[in-house]
Amino acid sequence: MIAFIKRWPITITTAAVVLIAAAAWLSPLPMAQGAREAPLWIDGAASARPWIRYPAWPTRDVSKFNTLAAVVSPLPPRAPRKIAAPVTGDAALGAKLVADRGRGGSCIACHVMGPAGGADLPGDVGPDLSEIGKAGRDDEWLFNYVYDARVYNPDTVMPPWGTHGIFSEAEIGHIVAFLKTLTAPAQFKAALDDPQRRPAPAETRDNLDAMINPAMWAVEERAPQLWKTEGPRGSSCASCHAEPSSAFRSWAAGMPKWEERLQKVLGVEEFVTRHTKATTGHDWLMQSEENTALSTYLRYLANGAPIRVDAESEAARAAYARGKALSERKVGALNFSCADCHSAERGSGKWIRGQWLSELKGQLDHFPTWRTSQQSIWDIRKRFQWCQVAIWADDLPPDDPAYGDLELYLAAQNVGQKLSVPGIRH
Amino acid sequence: MRSWSRRQALKAGAGATAAVLALPQALRAVPAEVAAEIAKFTGGKAFSEGLITIDVPEIAENGNTVPLSIAVDSPMTANDYIAELRVLADGNPRPGIASFRFTPQCGRAEAATRIRLAGSQTLSAVAKTSDGRVFLARKQVKVTIGGCGG
Amino acid sequence: MAEKPRIKMPKEAKRGEIIQIKTLVAHVMESGQRKDQSGNTIPRKIINTFVCSFNGAPVFACDLETSIAANPYLQFAVRVEQSGVFAFRWVDDDGTFITAEENIVVS
Repeated sequence: MIAFIKRWPITITTAAVVLIAAAAWLSPLPMAQGAREAPLWIDGAASARPWIRYPAWPTRDVSKFNTLAAVVSPLPPRAPRKIAAPVTGDAALGAKLVADRGRGGSCIACHVMGPAGGADLPGDVGPDLSEIGKAGRDDEWLFNYVYDARVYNPDTVMPPWGTHGIFSEAEIGHIVAFLKTLTAPAQFKAALDDPQRRPAPAETRDNLDAMINPAMWAVEERAPQLWKTEGPRGSSCASCHAEPSSAFRSWAAGMPKWEERLQKVLGVEEFVTRHTKATTGHDWLMQSEENTALSTYLRYLANGAPIRVDAESEAARAAYARGKALSERKVGALNFSCADCHSAERGSGKWIRGQWLSELKGQLDHFPTWRTSQQSIWDIRKRFQWCQVAIWADDLPPDDPAYGDLELYLAAQNVGQKLSVPGIRH
Repeated sequence: MRSWSRRQALKAGAGATAAVLALPQALRAVPAEVAAEIAKFTGGKAFSEGLITIDVPEIAENGNTVPLSIAVDSPMTANDYIAELRVLADGNPRPGIASFRFTPQCGRAEAATRIRLAGSQTLSAVAKTSDGRVFLARKQVKVTIGGCGG
Repeated sequence: MAEKPRIKMPKEAKRGEIIQIKTLVAHVMESGQRKDQSGNTIPRKIINTFVCSFNGAPVFACDLETSIAANPYLQFAVRVEQSGVFAFRWVDDDGTFITAEENIVVS
């Protein structure tokens, strides 16, 4: 061995230099930033496993219903059920059921229904039913429409209250009895209660004012502190990225992005987990306090930059197609798709109870956002998860590939929108 | 917390009831607890309406943090200024929201903060001037919760 | 808040000018209404008093109750006649104080 080295010193030295350079190139050691791939830890999940739903969120057994990862919901009946005798029920009970928040809304979330719920901020995704009692609909039609409207309209937004077991047949009888009493327009106590006269909310708060938005503390203080915090490998973000405010002036506006090494779409939050673990050794899982602060910070540094999406590569186009399909999949016991609430042809621009539904455009530029109702910063994946749980569907782990596809599709609807992060919203 | 003798408690109850019954018609619909707080503030004095502007959203998307700002019209001179402003809620677990104490040095009798509301309800603001006049204003706020029932 | 309270106010003003002061302190403002995972009531712990003094004399004060939102924000007005120091004090239920100071130059 030593004789060999003595005989070929220059070759050996050159080979050694090349090998060391190659090792440095491949190994996740601090190095000057170049136009090469960011190191990513790819050996496991980027969020907690097993993924356990947030304890404050509702828990229901909705395993029988679709999620963004599984299509398992029961099929609709093939035809409306024949009902010969009149439907009997207690109209007073029906009046309570249609306003019952514990049953996914219920009806007055989408319909004005005369005096139901005190006509207190009913919604208008569906038609005003205040005079349905004299609209010439027979009992069979009313019963079947509530039980499973798909037998009359396959494209309906209505939850299949009967097929999905949200209301029992007896309860649907009560609801039908109540509907038959509705023969006069609703009397609203105030103009605001009438969804037709309710002004669409406008967000006027200055989301970048730390006196107004507590999320600004994360970007002004916490994230810069984390940036300099060394991980187990002895390095910090600052070791490679000394000037983040200039280096990342538009980086986050190009996320999410297809990641070849993981064969999925990666958003900022998952990138932060995998990149920081590969380089500094930090264990900053998605939706941890550190990850949220840093993800918000990276998006904040790109404020003003327009959202852009790679829609050219084959992988990106396939992800977009999957995301679009997922946005149209009905999920949960309430059987809603993203499009049911958030597309112009269906729910957007309308009210569910007192909450206004926005369209997809304008929904990504302010994420991560401070949520006043939650008193914390939520990233877009957490928002997806919550939407699912709210419509009685199981949420997926935040790094599920389905969420990546959906986020890419959402980003594509928001191309050109300028980032303004952190947002502040309900 | 003091423990009251039965007699003391009866006396206080009777006092509160008397105070409530002495209130003008405008306040008869107000929950007893809030009416009692107003009576305590006014010392039984008749109040006027006007002077106070309550600025709060008509619909609050959630009750966790609702911006509230109140202004009371006053010259704020050494002889004529707003000494105290109390804000009360009809529908919160406890009626008191805040009390603001001004001096003539404030220049303007105004304050803004962010409050919690347990649900749709009416707010009251009572103001007392340096020479003991009292004013009252009421404003309704609707508080919605997530549309689907969360 | 290990962090300082946040104060937004002008550093300079004209004599007799009425300035607006905005203050914010990070505090959970635990109302005493919430329950934890096991169903036990989380005890009340709020900022119950705020005082703003100028050159040692109280100018504006607020008694806060449990309906004030977390991270209490207080905004108010002050007419400034001379240069000096504003002192702000927040009092916690547990008796501790949070304090801050800001100077103003009045010409």
